[in-house]
Amino acid sequence: MTRSVFTSPYVLILPGFLLTAFIIVWPLVQLGILSTSDLNRFGVIRGPAGWENFAEVFADPDFIASAWRTLIWTAAIVVGSLAISIPVAIILSEDFYGRGLARVIIMLPWSVSLTMTAIVWRWALNGESGMLNSALTGLGLIDQNIQWLAQAGTAFPVQVAIGILVTIPFTTTIFLGGLSSIPDDLYEAARLEGAGRLQIFREITLPLIRPFINIAIVMNTIYVFNSFPIIWAMTQGGPANSTDILVTYLYKLGFRFGKLGEAAALSLIMFAMLLVFTIVYVRLAMRRESR
Amino acid sequence: MDFKRIGNRFLAGTALVAAALVPLASAQAQTVRVTVAEYSSLTGRYFEEAAAAFEAANPGTDIQIEVVPWNVLLQTLTTDISGGVNADLSIIGTRWLLDFVEQDIAQPLDGFMDQAFTDRFIPTFLTPSVMDGQTFGLPVAASARAMYYNQDLLDQAGIDRPPETWAELAEAATAISALGDDIYGFGVQGNEVETDVYFYYAFWSHGGNLIDPDGTSGLDTEAAYQAAALYRDLIDSGATQPGVTSYTREDVQNLFKQGRVGMMMTAPFLSTQIRDEAPDLNYGVAAIPAGPGGDRGTYGVTDSIIMFANTEVADTAWAFLDLLFTQEWRSKFTGGEGFLPVNAAVAEEPAFAEDPDLAVFASVLPDARFAPVIAGWEEIADITSSALQRIYLGQGDIEETLNDAAAEIDGILN
Repeated sequence: MTRSVFTSPYVLILPGFLLTAFIIVWPLVQLGILSTSDLNRFGVIRGPAGWENFAEVFADPDFIASAWRTLIWTAAIVVGSLAISIPVAIILSEDFYGRGLARVIIMLPWSVSLTMTAIVWRWALNGESGMLNSALTGLGLIDQNIQWLAQAGTAFPVQVAIGILVTIPFTTTIFLGGLSSIPDDLYEAARLEGAGRLQIFREITLPLIRPFINIAIVMNTIYVFNSFPIIWAMTQGGPANSTDILVTYLYKLGFRFGKLGEAAALSLIMFAMLLVFTIVYVRLAMRRESR
Repeated sequence: MDFKRIGNRFLAGTALVAAALVPLASAQAQTVRVTVAEYSSLTGRYFEEAAAAFEAANPGTDIQIEVVPWNVLLQTLTTDISGGVNADLSIIGTRWLLDFVEQDIAQPLDGFMDQAFTDRFIPTFLTPSVMDGQTFGLPVAASARAMYYNQDLLDQAGIDRPPETWAELAEAATAISALGDDIYGFGVQGNEVETDVYFYYAFWSHGGNLIDPDGTSGLDTEAAYQAAALYRDLIDSGATQPGVTSYTREDVQNLFKQGRVGMMMTAPFLSTQIRDEAPDLNYGVAAIPAGPGGDRGTYGVTDSIIMFANTEVADTAWAFLDLLFTQEWRSKFTGGEGFLPVNAAVAEEPAFAEDPDLAVFASVLPDARFAPVIAGWEEIADITSSALQRIYLGQGDIEETLNDAAAEIDGILN
């Protein structure tokens, strides 16, 4: 039996590949051109610039500071949301009265736009008329208003906490899917053998949802690394660039200062960072699984 | 592609038929696209009304108004221009104008303007849009800054008149702050756009210049050190609201409207907001206090409406501008938005001439300074704001922080 050329896997993949190439490769090529060109304020190419835009970005102290902060931002939110979502998902996958309602409540933050959430929090965190300060005062926890967004020392941790809060629904959903794929008889067998809850979790649940944890880590890292609205709506990276992450810094560079060449270079640097992370992580995860 | 050629032929054919059917060339539909900044909820409605009036008077024209929020205006214009899909007319901040002129994006309007048209404007507001003797924009909105004070709080603190010098302001602020836990003497803006401007009020009063005569930043001068020290002392002694680095101008204005701040500097639109939101507030407007040497300074701002160099409907676009700058339409806009009149005839209307708040703003205009016409001004403003935020937070020595910022700015200026 001869195979038609039209059922060759390469031909079948072709339409999808072309679409992906159009969406991903074409902008990348454009970015590559822009980042190595001398651009005017409005993105018109004046001439070649070589690696000058990249050199400018790397020489900028704000870039280095934002890069470190992005690392902390991403790691804290990804780990934090993971640590909360796993127990939440386990509880939600158990059968109890009002489970439907509990699931809805956990998923609720997902249905509100990120910018809206951030703006509501900005009001809540207002030093003088914010809900949080009046609640804390009412509970007798503080006797003086805290100016949450006035300095990075309080603003950034709060932003990370909000980041975790809005990442939980998605992460929990992934784990709920993962937990439902574990057959019940494994648990029954374990209980018959006399395993404790912690033992069941460590020996059965955790290994079996490991692929889902990997997915959650990779996808959340990509989302959170590029997440703009929370920080922008709350502090615009301020005061004095002390809450800037790369993506807010990128916005300032491109649209406030009009340095579009440097902005294009920075986007490529960010893309490279994410790409390297994803490849390394996926390889490590796969190697561990195949072992 | 062949489709394109067919499309072009089709278009050309339609155009021919249309030309044959319509004997007068002037009757061809002329579409003018106008990008306008959204100053308030009234802006869009105002421009739609003006467009409708223009279309009624000029059959065959179509004015398309695109309303863009202020804080994304520059971004929208940048992407539109780089994509070649910009409108024919646009409102821009006059401080961006140099970039638009240098890149040949805005075209000079002198060819359309005659003396009678020029005479419609108050010269102070038209000059910022003139570069190298050519007019590249028409001032569509103008404001200056003055000091708002809460009369009741001054009375309670036993102060009989609004402060006239910064020393008096510091004294009054301390006295008002002592009135209660939720009352603050002097509202200081320390966050987001114009954080630098809020500092310039004191900086100029102490004799400082943004750009010194030798072409370098004026932040490393005695005037800047003194002004920054003044603000920091006020902040440290609790004479301002706490946490100034989280307060935007709107946040401080809100405190003022709630009657919780004794004094603040801002633009005339606060009067409009107080009229609508806090009509019982007993407030007054005075000039920004003078420095130790008697210097005064306030910030003047205009927004300009420009015509793009690549427009194909320049004459119709100009005719629309001509309508917008008639007394009737200017009067409607200026009154609705709470700006200063830019049109001399509008300034003489009783609604503006007899308004006590606007009278103060008009009187400070001779001291008004506009943002310097420098490429990269936004970045300089950002560097200045960041340095000030560090000072307000008490991070680092005042002189050192300002000197570092000045050195960074000098790098951009050269």
